Amino acid sequence: MDTLQMLSDNLADAVDHAAAWVVAVNARPRIAASGVHWRPGVVVTTHHTVRREEDITVTLSDGRTVPATLAGRDAATDLAVLRIDGSGVPPASFAEPGSLKVGHVVLQVGRTGSAGHSASFGVVSTIVGPWRTWRGAEIDQLFQLDLAIHDGFSGSPLVDSQGNVVGLNTSGLLRGTPAALPLSVVNRVMDALLTKGRIARGYLGVGLQPVEVPSALGGKLDPPRRTGLIVLAVDADSPGGRGGLQLSDVIVAVDHQSVADVRDLLALLAPERVGSTVAVEVLRGGTPHTIRVTIAERPTR
Amino acid sequence: MTLADQLAAVVAQLRRSTVQVRGRGAAAGSGSGIVWKPGVIVTNAHVATKGFTLVEPADGSVREARVVASDPRRDLAVLGVDTTGLTPADIAPAGTLRVGSLVLAVGNPFGLSGAVTTGIVHKLSERRRRTRLILADVRLLPGNSGGPLGDAAGRVVGVNAMILRGLAAAIPSDVVERFVREAQLAA
Repeated sequence: MDTLQMLSDNLADAVDHAAAWVVAVNARPRIAASGVHWRPGVVVTTHHTVRREEDITVTLSDGRTVPATLAGRDAATDLAVLRIDGSGVPPASFAEPGSLKVGHVVLQVGRTGSAGHSASFGVVSTIVGPWRTWRGAEIDQLFQLDLAIHDGFSGSPLVDSQGNVVGLNTSGLLRGTPAALPLSVVNRVMDALLTKGRIARGYLGVGLQPVEVPSALGGKLDPPRRTGLIVLAVDADSPGGRGGLQLSDVIVAVDHQSVADVRDLLALLAPERVGSTVAVEVLRGGTPHTIRVTIAERPTR
Repeated sequence: MTLADQLAAVVAQLRRSTVQVRGRGAAAGSGSGIVWKPGVIVTNAHVATKGFTLVEPADGSVREARVVASDPRRDLAVLGVDTTGLTPADIAPAGTLRVGSLVLAVGNPFGLSGAVTTGIVHKLSERRRRTRLILADVRLLPGNSGGPLGDAAGRVVGVNAMILRGLAAAIPSDVVERFVREAQLAA
């Protein structure tokens, strides 16, 4: 048989193989989103496609629709985990973690209802990481894909040419462009959501932008500071607001560590810091002040 | 043969049976058509507008065509043309396709002759176990209308009819075959 026909059959076989454990998650109006029967009784999907927390159902590959309960969701990694009675349908099979390289042929296999599955084809465009999502999660890797986004993309598995899962697709992390989270990130977040229902992340409740501190002002500080973060928004009912941070304060250090970038501050808001009190050094009207702020947990939405 | 050579051969096979279809005059729109069998070219109803229709195969000839049958509901039209020197397409039933099968679209977007795009079958829209519409993850442009969707063996499995939310929507070859038979019986 010629190689082109073999390639075509191989792609269709890979799609067939994966379709057995791709489910449709009915948790938003109109069109359902895709999900993966990741482990027996556990479905992983994307956070942004779960628009309600009650009355969720999952349509399986055999056409049955079963009730599902939300085990937890994490906006920062755009993941949500559901529990179902998954008896009768197989769980996913996975590729060797770390096997995916730039240029590899990949398929996306989705399901948006009981009328069969769908697929699209592309390649891994780049692999970025370690990387911080726009909602503050630190992830070791993210796959950027050269693949068309159609209905059912988010929450569907990214599979290799054998039909084994290499990641979970989402359009919610890179401004609507196609991306996939690697197995390591999905497994870590899923385990945390299954045991605790959420992932605690530190939160100040302020909007910030990096600024240069004039040397006339920064030089007066001990030690001198060249950079800072200006406060552009404060939620009054947030740790920053309650602690006394004000609009146009310039944060120059937190616990004596200088902050040049919003990333520097986010790095200080790791899960283990929730509940601890930090000393925030600010310049207010040119005068240094120290404000004590107790880091709280980021709201889930 | 290497994979690349095979792909080129399959493309050449599909291009041989693909023609450009246009009305007469500068304002007339254009699309694509398929040499279905001797004397018969298939295109979309929205491409084969009333009046004079011209067909331009890849050999550079311009041939006058007569609209034998046109059905806007199925968006199909049969043109009667002198197909001397042209190769009719190799037709395969759309039932041979699976989600994930490799497919190719050939057509004349922007009047470019024989432009090729490739992809896979995205979804098969079925009714009573019959394929109603092939949705392919293949880039199409308006001039692709009426042109072939081919499989990995260079056989025509559908007629590209429209772009549906970024997907190529093609009418299955079986539906086309039935339409051609009906048109010939009526003629």
